[in-house]
Amino acid sequence: MTSSTTTAHPPASTTAPGPAPAPARTTLLDDDVRAAMRALGAAAKKGLGDPALAELVQLRASQLNRCAFCLDMHLGIAREHGVSERQLDLLDAWEEAGDGVFDERERAALALTEAVTVLTDGFVPDEVHQRAARHFDAAQLAHLVALITVINSWNRLMVSRRIPPGSTRW
Amino acid sequence: MTTTTTTETNTTDGYAPEQPPRLDWAALAPDVFKAMVRLDAAARKGLDPRLLELVKIRASQINQCAICLDMHSKDALAAGESVERIIQLSAWRESPHFYTERELAALELTEAVTVLTDGFVPDEVYERTAKHFEEAELAQLIAAITVINAWNRFGVTCRRTPGHYQPGQHA
Repeated sequence: MTSSTTTAHPPASTTAPGPAPAPARTTLLDDDVRAAMRALGAAAKKGLGDPALAELVQLRASQLNRCAFCLDMHLGIAREHGVSERQLDLLDAWEEAGDGVFDERERAALALTEAVTVLTDGFVPDEVHQRAARHFDAAQLAHLVALITVINSWNRLMVSRRIPPGSTRW
Repeated sequence: MTTTTTTETNTTDGYAPEQPPRLDWAALAPDVFKAMVRLDAAARKGLDPRLLELVKIRASQINQCAICLDMHSKDALAAGESVERIIQLSAWRESPHFYTERELAALELTEAVTVLTDGFVPDEVYERTAKHFEEAELAQLIAAITVINAWNRFGVTCRRTPGHYQPGQHA
């Protein structure tokens, strides 16, 4: 942090300290891309059949990918689906939080979420896949993978264009 | 270690056996697969097909998606892309003279969006790419990079087996 100067009211012509403002990025997204993304998300969520878990997964990926827009949106949806404040508070440390906060099925899904999200760090190791396969049948697992992939796609679309949280133009 | 003198079915002599896929996700989630195909078609609109294949190959290299590399290197070759440009792709910063300025800008953005957590698409990368693409085209490029990253996630997580793709099969 920089300390403030002694001048309480600097002249208007003075440039504010700190980094230059970031250049504007595009807010464009093709209508067909948006529609297909929505269809993809709906299909993944429907097949998983667990709306609260779907929100935990989408929030965790968005935390890792630092997608402010997606975090803002899915925090609201998670609360609507009854995800507890305790889970939301501790999601960033879910493995350490342990069984008292996230059950083994949720933790298996979150481990898979992290492996698929930070794909280049391990390329989804066998043990992570097997852990998830113990708690989800093949069809559920396929849809869980799809859901993780879809939120990663939204994260990429939003972070790349730096869409601010709560924006209506995206 | 025991040695074998017989060649196993479907393996080249001395090569390791093929790994079976983990999950046949397209059959298990047909609606998802359908939506992915639709998304892929939407994201490629307005983009140069030659550029698109380079982007797809580069993202697939970084994500180590074997099935995607099999598919897109074969499709690129079948579409007339040079072997040299495909071989040099993983070292494009060292071999810029194989590519146009636009392709180089697209490849830099591809890497930033692909390894998202390593820098979160820095301003300087975005700005450099934005100089070479009209806004609508840039939006499509971002979408296309996102979509190949999605295919890569399915391919790697479900361990789809490479080597059986025929050029144009999914074109």
